[in-house]
Amino acid sequence: MNCEEARQFMLLAGYGELSFEEEEALELHVASCPGCQSERAGYVSMESLLAQAELNPPPGLLARCRRDLAVRIGEQSSPARRFAFSALWRRWVVHPPMWLRPAGAFAMLAIGFFAARFVPDTSLFAQFAGPAEPASVARVRLVNAAESGQVRVLYDEVRQRELTGSLQDDRIRSMLISAAADPSDPGLRVDTMDLLKNHCERDEVRQVLLHALRNDPNSGVRLKALDGLKAYAREPETLQALAEVVQRDDNPGVRVQAIDLLLQNREPEVVGLLQELLRREENSYIRSRSQKALSEMKASIDTF
Amino acid sequence: MNSHSATFAADQPGAARVRAGDLLAVDEAALIRAAQAGDHDAFERLVRNYDQSVLKLAMNLLRSPDDAYDVYQEAFLRVYKNINSFRFDCSFHTWLYRIVTNLCLDQLRKRKVRKTEPAVVETPEGPIDRLETTPEHRPHADPQRALLSTEIKRKIEDTLSGMSARERMVFEMRHYQGMRLRAIGDVLGTSEEAAKNCLFRATQKMRSALGDLI
Repeated sequence: MNCEEARQFMLLAGYGELSFEEEEALELHVASCPGCQSERAGYVSMESLLAQAELNPPPGLLARCRRDLAVRIGEQSSPARRFAFSALWRRWVVHPPMWLRPAGAFAMLAIGFFAARFVPDTSLFAQFAGPAEPASVARVRLVNAAESGQVRVLYDEVRQRELTGSLQDDRIRSMLISAAADPSDPGLRVDTMDLLKNHCERDEVRQVLLHALRNDPNSGVRLKALDGLKAYAREPETLQALAEVVQRDDNPGVRVQAIDLLLQNREPEVVGLLQELLRREENSYIRSRSQKALSEMKASIDTF
Repeated sequence: MNSHSATFAADQPGAARVRAGDLLAVDEAALIRAAQAGDHDAFERLVRNYDQSVLKLAMNLLRSPDDAYDVYQEAFLRVYKNINSFRFDCSFHTWLYRIVTNLCLDQLRKRKVRKTEPAVVETPEGPIDRLETTPEHRPHADPQRALLSTEIKRKIEDTLSGMSARERMVFEMRHYQGMRLRAIGDVLGTSEEAAKNCLFRATQKMRSALGDLI
């Protein structure tokens, strides 16, 4: 392999796009070529610079996109029926023909008169005094029959409520912590992590982020959790979680971010992990980061 | 839904996620079929599976929240209108990304004609400096570092603007979205080799632009 080929391969190696043989040939060449070694160091530096320029959508944009999309899809879902209904509405109610207007006025009077006679006096009271319609029945808990022949049903109901407040508010925080564990909605979890990640000074929040980092199936959520834990990378619990992620996470992007964070402080405990990574990690960026860190820490690149 | 719950509670994320990945592929086909049959909930779940990455891709390619919003709306409306013509001859991801990248390419080409791009853009969430939307790594720690970081972002921004629409697209999908070159080729309707050459050109441009900083 010559230097020009090696430089082409270097780029692809950083992205994990080389075959085993190609990567071996590259490593052999780089090991014996100081020019290509510094070229590779340049690629690694470029990677870290590029990471700083990644844009995240502003907070709230995703929610606005989703809300507006739902509205637009609703408008599109039955255009023919909506058109027919709106045409009828305009034709007969908004702009009725002149001959129909007196008839319409008479009909309104007649409806008012008969409605007053047929509606019971207690209707208004009954409307408020009776049991409310459930917003949505989540689960029926108990059914039994009374002697009178009536049936008694005990059910849970789900109601939608809104809560507004700052992240210092315990209720808001506890809602967010519960949303962070909602397995059915990764989008909600990402939005929640985005909010929680700036409040890691609280132990309960940090625990949520650590749990998400280890267990969340969505890589976007895991990346947000990593972002939030940056300032706590020296703490033993975070170090432990980062080490697990670097070894086990199936997403190379998450592993790359985790190794960067892990190496930020050069703790001596990570030497063993780096040696292990060097031995079995597939991603060449992570391997080269590990190798560089080991040599900077004056540690052996082999396990004994 | 069950597959999500099971995975979420698992202690060994790597192994569990591989199994969940298989289940998700099956789930996705079922979701697509349900959406084709007119099930709105299924369509919404499909959207939610992909919409964050679509928005992020559009945001990074177009560097403007307004344009990213437009691409998001248009892409998913096209998916909604044409879901019945999806025949499973490629993955849903590839099909969706074809739509998104075509919309972004159109925007980028239009922008080449318009040329200027303000640094501060107005959004319903308030004015946003496009160079400041990236979360700063401990921004208060070192003002000199913050200044350098802004300079780096500006250089990267300028270099991205100088790339051709396709180079930018390939660079973005490979670098920030972590897509394989073969998948990028599928999305852009070209070969893996062509995508590789495009990526190489784009990276060389970026490398020489950042030369004095690395």
